[in-house]
This record gives sequence, C-alpha cells and structure tokens, in this order.
Amino acid sequence: MSSKRPGGEMAKRPLHFIWLVDCSGSMQGDKIQSVNFGIREAITPMRDAANENPTAQLLVRAITFASGAQWIISQPTDINSFTWTEVAADGVTDMGQALEMVAQVLKMEVMGDRALPPVLALISDGIPTDNFGAGLKKLMAEPWGKKAVRVAIAIGQDADHEPLQKFIGNSEIKPIQVDNPQALVRSIKWLSTTAVKAVSMPVSQVKGKPDSSSNVPMPAPPQLGPSSASDPW
Amino acid sequence: MNELLKPGQDIRTNSGTMCRVDKFLGGGGQGEVYRATWSGQPYALKWYFAQTATPKQFQALQALVDKGSPSPQFLWPMELCSRGGAPGYGYLIRLREPRYKGIVDLMVRRAEPTFRALASAGLQLADCYLQLHARGLCYCDISYGNVFFDPQTGDVLICDNDNVIVNGQTPEIAGTLGFMAPEIVTGSALPSIETDKYSLAVLLFLMFTLNHPLEGKKESAFKALDVPAKKVLYGAEAVFIFDPKDDSNRPDRHHAVVNNFWPIYPQFLRDLFIKAFTAGLKDAKHGRVTENEWKTAMTRLRDSIVYCPRCTAENFYDADAIKTSGGKELPCWSCKGAMALPFRIRIARTVTMLNHDTKLFPHHIDEQKLFDFSKPAAEVSRHPKDPSQWGLKNLTGEKWTMTVMDGAMKDIEPGRSVPLAPGVKINFGKTVGEIAY
Repeated sequence: MSSKRPGGEMAKRPLHFIWLVDCSGSMQGDKIQSVNFGIREAITPMRDAANENPTAQLLVRAITFASGAQWIISQPTDINSFTWTEVAADGVTDMGQALEMVAQVLKMEVMGDRALPPVLALISDGIPTDNFGAGLKKLMAEPWGKKAVRVAIAIGQDADHEPLQKFIGNSEIKPIQVDNPQALVRSIKWLSTTAVKAVSMPVSQVKGKPDSSSNVPMPAPPQLGPSSASDPW
Repeated sequence: MNELLKPGQDIRTNSGTMCRVDKFLGGGGQGEVYRATWSGQPYALKWYFAQTATPKQFQALQALVDKGSPSPQFLWPMELCSRGGAPGYGYLIRLREPRYKGIVDLMVRRAEPTFRALASAGLQLADCYLQLHARGLCYCDISYGNVFFDPQTGDVLICDNDNVIVNGQTPEIAGTLGFMAPEIVTGSALPSIETDKYSLAVLLFLMFTLNHPLEGKKESAFKALDVPAKKVLYGAEAVFIFDPKDDSNRPDRHHAVVNNFWPIYPQFLRDLFIKAFTAGLKDAKHGRVTENEWKTAMTRLRDSIVYCPRCTAENFYDADAIKTSGGKELPCWSCKGAMALPFRIRIARTVTMLNHDTKLFPHHIDEQKLFDFSKPAAEVSRHPKDPSQWGLKNLTGEKWTMTVMDGAMKDIEPGRSVPLAPGVKINFGKTVGEIAY
C-alpha cells in the first residue's frame, strides 16, 4: 500500500555556529594546519549531531583574525553543504575586532526572533593585541551574544587564558588547553559537536547537580589526547 | 576521539570469552561505540569514558545483564567487558539492522511509513515499555534519540538501555528536555514508571503529528529557545496545544504541520492524546495514559483504516465523527473525494474494516488472546471464480459457523470463506462477529 501521509515537516529553528580562528603569525606552521585539518574533520560529526535533532537547522560561518579580522565564510551555510577553505597565518592578534564583527551579525534585526542560542567557538594561541575588552563588550551588549554558548580552545603554552575565560563568561566552562596537534584536532571535533548537541537537544541532564548558571549547560571535556611527554607546543 | 579502543584490539568479556574490536562507529556523551566480533558474530561494543565509567554504573549494568532483556525489541546489555588494569569498561549489545530508521528520520520525512506501520510501531512501543515496567524497571530517558523503527513493518528497537533502573532507585539522569514529565522539569520528582508514561505519550504524539504537544504559540513567543525557556514551556507553564479548555497555546504558523495530521485521526485517538496532555500533565498518579490504553488505541486505529476508492490514501473510520455529522462519512483527507466504506465486522465491542488486505488475528476473535497478532486467523479473500464476490477466509484449524439473515446456518471449514454480506453472523468459537456494510 502506498505510504501517503499529509505533508509538512517539524518546525525548525536555526542554530548559528560561528568559528573564530586566530590566524596571527604565531599560528604559522603545524598549528594552523591542525586547525584546518580539525575543522574539516569536525564537519561530519557536526552534521551527524545536527541530523539527530529534527528541530535544529545548523548554519555555520567563520571569521579569522590577525592584523584585522575578516569573514571567510560570511553567509550562514547549512552544515550539509558546508566546506572549509584552508586559512593561512600572518600578522598580529586582533581578537577584539573579530568579536565586534560577530556582534554585528548577532543583532536582533539580523537574527530574527526565532532561533536557538548561537554557538561561538574561539581558537587562539596568543594574547589579543587590540582592544579585546571593547570587542567583548559590544558582543555581550547584544541579547543573542549574551545567549550564545561561547567556548574556546587555547593552543600551546603562550595562549592567554584570561581573555578566553572572559569570552566564555562562565566559570564552570574553561578554555580547553591543547598542547599538541592530535589534542587540537580532537578538541575541535569534541567541542563543536558537543556544543551543537547541548544547544539543540539538552540531553539527559545529570540529576542532583545544582542547576548550572549557564542557559545551555555544557558537559566537561574528556581527556582529549596525550599530554606532557610529547608536547611540542 | 576514537581512541579509547583500537581496531584489532582483543577485549576480554567478564564471562571469560574474547571479543575483537573492528571499527569505531560513533561517540556520545558517555562514551564511544565500536563494532566488534564476538563468537564469530558482529555486535556493538559500547565503551565508557573514564569519568563516566563509575563503579555504580558498572553495578547497574551488571544488574541489567543479569535480569536479561524484557523483550526482543530491546538492544539490551548482553555481556560486560573490561580490559583488566586499564580504566573503563564496556558492554556488548546486538547491532541495529539497517532496516531500522530513527524516529528523527520520521520527523524530517526521510522515513515514510504507512499509517498502518506507524500504528504498529506505536503498538509495539507501548508494549515494550509495558514489558519493561511490568518487571519493575524504569527507562528514565525515553526520547526520539533512542527508538528506531522499520518504516515497512512498524517493528521497533529500543536502544541506550544502560540508564534503566529499578523503579524507585535514584537515577543517574533526569531525561531529555521536551520528553521529561513536567514534575521532573520543575524539580519536584525524579524519573519513574509514571514519568516514563508521560515521555511515551510525547513520543507517540510526535510520531503521529510531527509536532511537540506543548509547542504552539508559547514556543514561538521565545526568541531564543534555551534551557530556561524550555523549562517554562515543558514544566512550569506547560499547556497542550489542543487543550479543550485552554486555547493559550494553539498551534500558530510555525506549527502548521500539526493541523495537517490532527483532524484526520479518529476522535478516540485525539481524546486519548487530550487526556495524556491535560490530566496527564497535572496528575502523574492517575491522569496518565497507560501502556495498555495506548495498545488498545493503536490496535483500534489499525482496525479503522480504510482506503480512499479514488486516491488509495489511508483514511480512518471514525464512528463518533459519522454520528456527529448525521451519518455522513467525512471526505478523503487527501483528494477530498467522497469516501465509500467497505464491509466491516463487529466483534464484541470492536469494529474492523474489511479491506482487500485485512487480516484478523486471535486478538480479534478470542477475548482470551488480546494483543495476540502472532498468526492471522482470517483474511479477506476474493472468490476464485467470481472476483466480484468477497469473503472472509478461515485461516484457523477450527470450524466456524455462519448464520445468514433468514437464520440458516452453515459450517465454514478451515480454508473456506464466509461470503461478505450485511447481516451475516460468524461464530468463531469464542466470539461471534457480524458483518455490516
């Protein structure tokens, strides 16, 4: 018998995901190569995570910062058609400017009035060289910026955790420190898929824990790869 | 992070057998899943992250392995495994066959079952949780992430059984927002058999209407649907979108899909959903729809299916609606053409539509065999020499007797058919049915 049922699909909400990638000079070499590799590796698990939830449409963008900041994928791109173009590293660390530009696209009139909390994923190995505080302030002045799940990866021993922690804005979530390429690749994959899952379908909340102060609780990261002995960064 | 186990690695099971890791299949919040070979057969091996591999979880899994699966539809932990010395442990379960699709596939229309298959899936789901609950166990986290179904047959599989607890024990998890009963969302209760019943109702509503029962205008009112918003929507201020006494949360344009489905179901099914999300929202002890009520409704829904004579779409015979419309059958939901009802048979209180492909089961003809759909007892058949003549063929090993309008009686031996005509009565041995048109 034919399977004829009425038309229509479940209501979806957009889930905006924005990569903020440090492309300063110190990222040159294997760091930026690992970021390129890691983000590419993360596409499939992110797609799988998004496809597990029928009510979320995962839309991805990316911005890089070095001397200035630049959207490298400015259009919200459905994860099912998202591809990553390799980025190169050169210049200083204008992280603040990137935050300011992200704030622009999170404005109420751009975002519309129906979405899931956006995810902002920041990857950096250094210390901001511009007015980071001003950029963060602009981001947090936007309601969607405040609602966003903000997560960060700190690469190598020179990465300054303080601005990253301020960006996250929640003492329960720490920047993930990575000290070698494998850990970086795994962290990118873990963080992106976990954030997508946390936003789109808060699963299996652990009972007994006091309510998280965050509007989207994130689980703690597992051990993300070898540490110490072979740490090249 | 496919690094907990390596392909080719041998793992000792706790009963002393060996299994070999084949490949990484996927990762979740608690751990990773691999394909493994055990006793020459492929299985799935779930391995926990170090921080989730607690002694308490190990004991819980051991208890589940010892108890055994409530029914074949559960992908139940079969055997625990540990490497000895190294952190963590895992367990072996059956692999999911490719014919099973996710409920999520149903939601986004990657899987298109017939209504009959959908009702069969609903029946099996209700039965699975009944079997689980009857053993004093509670699932704790029913959601569309851990149920799979075969769109062709409606067969179901229930995965992620590692959170199952003995009802009354303190669970490790509270569930998934959207499926959690309101009293869990508001923090006044923990998962239990009663809250499982609520989650089952949500799952069934989603499967049948592609919309969450509490997502109407109130959902759209939230710009950002984050956890605090969901706690209001699914907890403190939960209102059913079709609550007859409260229209504050009716479906709006974002939830238009539900209006495509809701009106085409018979009143008895809509009434059951209304009960589940009005009384069932407020009164966990007495208001919830039981697994058996769902089983009865899903069976009745299957028995109500009629095919549109013009476009063949499955429609539902709704005696209540026909009564309220003064005896007129509603038009086909799909082509809007007039519906013509086929012969039907009333046995005790149930009415089954006799379509060209209808089968009756022991369930229908023996009150001692409720929900026995193991083997057909009768099927609609065509007369071999006169295709315009339809009959109901005796597939049992017992003789039936038929009585026609004038009182004449005739034996119907196994393999023979009762001609379908209004007023014909069939004595099946335990029950008597009457054909109507």
